[in-house]
Amino acid sequence: MRVNRGCSEGNCLSERTTWLLRAILGLALIAAWEAFGAFTGGTWTSKPSLIAVRLVQWAQRDLAWHVATTLQEIVVGLAIGVPLGIALGIVLGRAPITAKILRPLILTLNSIPVVALAPLLIMWFGLGLQPKIVLVALASFLLLFFNTFAGAQAVDRDMISALELMGASARERFQKAVLPGCTTWIMGGLRNALPYALIGATVGEMMLARNGLGYLISNAAGQFDMAGIYAALVVLMILGIIVNELANRLEGWLLRWRPVAAPAWSNM
Amino acid sequence: MTTAPSRDRSGLLILAGQVLVILLVLAAWYFASGTLVKKFILSDPISVAQTIAAWIRDGSLWQHLVVTLQTLLFGYGIGAVCGIAAGLAFGVFPRVDSVVSPYIVAIYALPKIALLPLFVILLGIGIASKVALVAVVVFFILLFSTRDGVRDVDADLGAVLRLMGAGQMEINRKVLIPATLPWVYTGLRVATGYALTTTVVGEALSSNRGLGFLIESSSVRFDSAGVFAAIVVVVALSFLITGVLGRFEAASSRWRS
Amino acid sequence: MTRNVIELEHVSKEFDARGVKVLALDTIDLAVAPEEFVALVGPSGCGKSTVLNLVAGLLPPTSGAVRYDGAPVQGANRRVGYMTQKDTLLPWRTVEDNIGIALELKCRAVPARERRERVQAMMDFVGLTGFARHYPGELSGGMRKRAALARMLIYEPETFLLDEPFGALDAQLKLIMHQELLRMTRARRLTVVFVTHDLAEAITLADRVAVFTARPGKIRAVRQIPFGRERDAVHLRFLPEFGALHEELWDELKDEVGKGTET
Repeated sequence: MRVNRGCSEGNCLSERTTWLLRAILGLALIAAWEAFGAFTGGTWTSKPSLIAVRLVQWAQRDLAWHVATTLQEIVVGLAIGVPLGIALGIVLGRAPITAKILRPLILTLNSIPVVALAPLLIMWFGLGLQPKIVLVALASFLLLFFNTFAGAQAVDRDMISALELMGASARERFQKAVLPGCTTWIMGGLRNALPYALIGATVGEMMLARNGLGYLISNAAGQFDMAGIYAALVVLMILGIIVNELANRLEGWLLRWRPVAAPAWSNM
Repeated sequence: MTTAPSRDRSGLLILAGQVLVILLVLAAWYFASGTLVKKFILSDPISVAQTIAAWIRDGSLWQHLVVTLQTLLFGYGIGAVCGIAAGLAFGVFPRVDSVVSPYIVAIYALPKIALLPLFVILLGIGIASKVALVAVVVFFILLFSTRDGVRDVDADLGAVLRLMGAGQMEINRKVLIPATLPWVYTGLRVATGYALTTTVVGEALSSNRGLGFLIESSSVRFDSAGVFAAIVVVVALSFLITGVLGRFEAASSRWRS
Repeated sequence: MTRNVIELEHVSKEFDARGVKVLALDTIDLAVAPEEFVALVGPSGCGKSTVLNLVAGLLPPTSGAVRYDGAPVQGANRRVGYMTQKDTLLPWRTVEDNIGIALELKCRAVPARERRERVQAMMDFVGLTGFARHYPGELSGGMRKRAALARMLIYEPETFLLDEPFGALDAQLKLIMHQELLRMTRARRLTVVFVTHDLAEAITLADRVAVFTARPGKIRAVRQIPFGRERDAVHLRFLPEFGALHEELWDELKDEVGKGTET
């Protein structure tokens, strides 16, 4: 039985106190950073004031364009990789013999760090959006494939039998038991595919690009523009937060029937 | 109705099928390169094997492998120790956890690889910047898993010991630590994959040594055989690490069914 | 002479669990006549559930013949309703969607409005009114059992296979369900095979009680229950005949209980 050790017998802070303390902590951190930067001259750490200035400068110029580029790579890549991964996962997952025979191959593919293939993809597709899109598509395809594949094999056989006894045809059994039964697994894959897509796009851009947030970082680094590096990190962090929040909401909505909450960082 | 001999036979058939599939893939690769696809794009199994052999002969494989392993071990070690410590702290002091947690989540949302240019400026292009990156990645994973493990410990277990007269330190030793351990192991296991990936990608982005560097330098020279060769070594390393870790975990977690 | 609904003739069932062979049932002979209510009683792991699986066609016998209405059972037997020990509610569907699922299937094609009405009536019957939009994960064990029962009852199969359906219910609800089950099976002329480890429940409900041995399961004793159809489930247990029957069957059962094994 899971008992949240923390919040029992008045061990928890009230909501207001928590938010107040958080705000104080945040302000304190920013103030300390600013002070540290002023004291050391800001060569390594820059200062929040400078970072804010850089952000405003960028916002007036082409920050939106870079964000849009990164988003485009993510969205298009996911749109390709996710459906393919799910489809192949279901098809192969329900054929147990094929599944067993393909298992070593699949395990090997699972061990390849997809993001490390970025140089290869750049070699193949050159400059532009394609290599990043392919990278995101490949990563999300593999993720969704593995999860769906495992899920399709894990559907409770007794549930399927129960439907069969009621008179369900094979197609109805698939629609009403197998497919929904997979969604937990598919969700696990999707939930991780979103952040992973952001990582893939960023890596690709850092390696070779003229646009995108990853490019902003490596470009700023190349010019020793510390404020620029931190500014780009801030934007990337905000994007990451949005992506994670989206993934959590999506999972929460699709899996609202789940009795116990899964840990926040869980992956497959 | 199954009997023992036929079960062995079907197992053998499956094994044969698996081997066949792998051979087919290799054969398809071999025949596709040069005919369907240009050789320099895809290379072929033979060239890749030859490249690996050449690397072994001239010692460069070991050189780069050692660098990658060093980065991996140092980064993993530092990150794990710090992550477990932080996780324990946050788990045992939930009030601190609830205040700090939005900031932790925010930093976690950042693709950590983006920190690499910063680390390179601060720590140089050598091994230190990659170690720092891996340490950050591993830190977060162990932080969350340890904290969740502490949170998950059944409060009743501690209460029972307290009624017997146990002090807090005894409860920590006899209940908290053993109950949190499986969560820590899960975190350690998950972190190895991410650590290896981060190491290789970090080396590919900015380094002059390591397996990641081999991938990047081969790709810049359009040496596809080299790229695939380096990837093969990375995959082999991944299998090795997973295998070793699996043995270790199985031996020490027998009470968990 | 009318045909038996269910016939098990010299049926044995052997399981192969990772190389170890387990004989679950050893040469069972059992026949269930139309509209008969048969209870199977026995210690844990004696194969009672396996008998139900065989009749439902989910498992083939290792030897012997299983017949339903004269014909050999091959594959899933759609003429029976089966309520298993472990509830197989679909966790992603609400209670009302779970209960109504049999009516969604093409082989029955019940229009949506009628489906909703029947689902509502069934929920009222099992005492789940108001929980229509809940998910199984939010219900207690007893409530899930009731939902599973409703799911089976709603499409009115002609034969019921029930595997410890009332085990998790509290005593009052159990009595009520006993009454309702008797009333319903009489009114609709249903054939029932009922598995339980509760001897009193078996005697209360059944026309015939079969006592199983511990694994490998054999039928140790069969006893006709003389109480007739119009029995009062709530007050039956206070009749002296009930007590005598209970003594007699308990004598058979108690030797086996000590040898029982959890599967």
